[in-house]
Amino acid sequence: MSGGMSGVWRIPAALAVLSAVGLSAAILGDGIWDWLCWATLSVPLAVCAVKLWRQRPGRPAM
Amino acid sequence: MTPASLRGWRLVHRWTSLICSANLLILCVTGLILVFHHEIQHLMGEDLDSSYTEGQARLPLQTLVDIAQKADPALVPKLLSFDAEDKAVSYIYLGKPEESGFDLGRWVVLNGFTGANQMLKQPEETLVGFLLKLHVDLFTGFAGQMFVGVMGLLFVVSTVSGLVVYGPFMKKLAFGILRFGRGTRIGNIDLHNLFGVATLVWAFVVGLTGAILSFSPLITGYWQKTELAAMTARHPEPMTGPAVPIDRVAAAGLAAFPGKDLAFIAYPGNEYAGSRHFSVIVRGHTELTQRLLSVALVDAETGVVAEAAGTPWYMTVLMLSGPFHFGDYGGLPLQIIWALFTIVTGVVTVTGFVVWLKRPRARSLSDRTASGAKLGSKA
Repeated sequence: MSGGMSGVWRIPAALAVLSAVGLSAAILGDGIWDWLCWATLSVPLAVCAVKLWRQRPGRPAM
Repeated sequence: MTPASLRGWRLVHRWTSLICSANLLILCVTGLILVFHHEIQHLMGEDLDSSYTEGQARLPLQTLVDIAQKADPALVPKLLSFDAEDKAVSYIYLGKPEESGFDLGRWVVLNGFTGANQMLKQPEETLVGFLLKLHVDLFTGFAGQMFVGVMGLLFVVSTVSGLVVYGPFMKKLAFGILRFGRGTRIGNIDLHNLFGVATLVWAFVVGLTGAILSFSPLITGYWQKTELAAMTARHPEPMTGPAVPIDRVAAAGLAAFPGKDLAFIAYPGNEYAGSRHFSVIVRGHTELTQRLLSVALVDAETGVVAEAAGTPWYMTVLMLSGPFHFGDYGGLPLQIIWALFTIVTGVVTVTGFVVWLKRPRARSLSDRTASGAKLGSKA
């Protein structure tokens, strides 16, 4: 992907990689693998929550 | 991408999503609750008795079979099944002597340590059973299950096509922009795009594994009719004498795969076994290897392993689809994460539907501004 498109994909690609790592981690073992899974899979959810909170309806325009 | 192919992808995204959206909402709502099925069963007092004291020995399999047969002395044991997570829970299928399938008999659930008999309630009688039935087949049996599987495949196509149309749409927009002040349609588009792209990998994996699980009767049936049938066909000898004790059969099967646990034992005459051979199916005991099955054919008259083999890749795919659909492989935190992803997916479904409802009708609204018409073609 070239030029203008790469910016569009930077964050989605990072979230996709984190999701894939997280989904795979906990099946490979327990303990540290579970923690890796919880930490990485929380990132896409946190991104959704933070974006929504910061731009929630009724909030004064930035 | 050419404008024509982008238009094609938008059509694919619109229609695959629309067709599966109603079913997807049912799956999200029921799935959201089913993620916590263990906890709910416990609260409702519907969980199976899996209590035993540390160090207690398992009862011999023959003892369990004898207890089970008291439930219906006219039936004979056909299949034993052992829970991978709840070590104490053993399922025993009793069938008519001539039966090879699983239609005419009954399942008995026993605590493998105490022998306590547990009534298996009809799915409609318990909350979890009701939700599971709604989730899996919409109360319409095999046909419904295949329908839900096809809906799952449409959902997978919808996630992929959604990703394809996301790029061109977001070209001039910052990631995660939410323009709630710009009307219902634009607010919903932005929320749909952010939540959809952020959770895309999870939704793809859960959708695909759900579809695979829906088709599990076909996948298991194919294995049984091809590889397993070929295996048992190589040992066609009929039964002439009495069978060796079931515990000797289990020990012989386990000895063929050191370090594995019992998963299933099918008696001779069952569709998963030979005419005079037991099938002893074993699995590992880590999160990963408990999904990898191997099978040993044990001669019922000699107690000797006649043949041992792994299972083909598609059975491993099917078995591995379970954890990646249920989210039950990383403790309670992963269950909560699974539930949150399910809620986000529900929001993506609803906002996508609203975007479609609020689509501008290009012909009747010919006086729309150029930018409005351009946006209208995006979903």
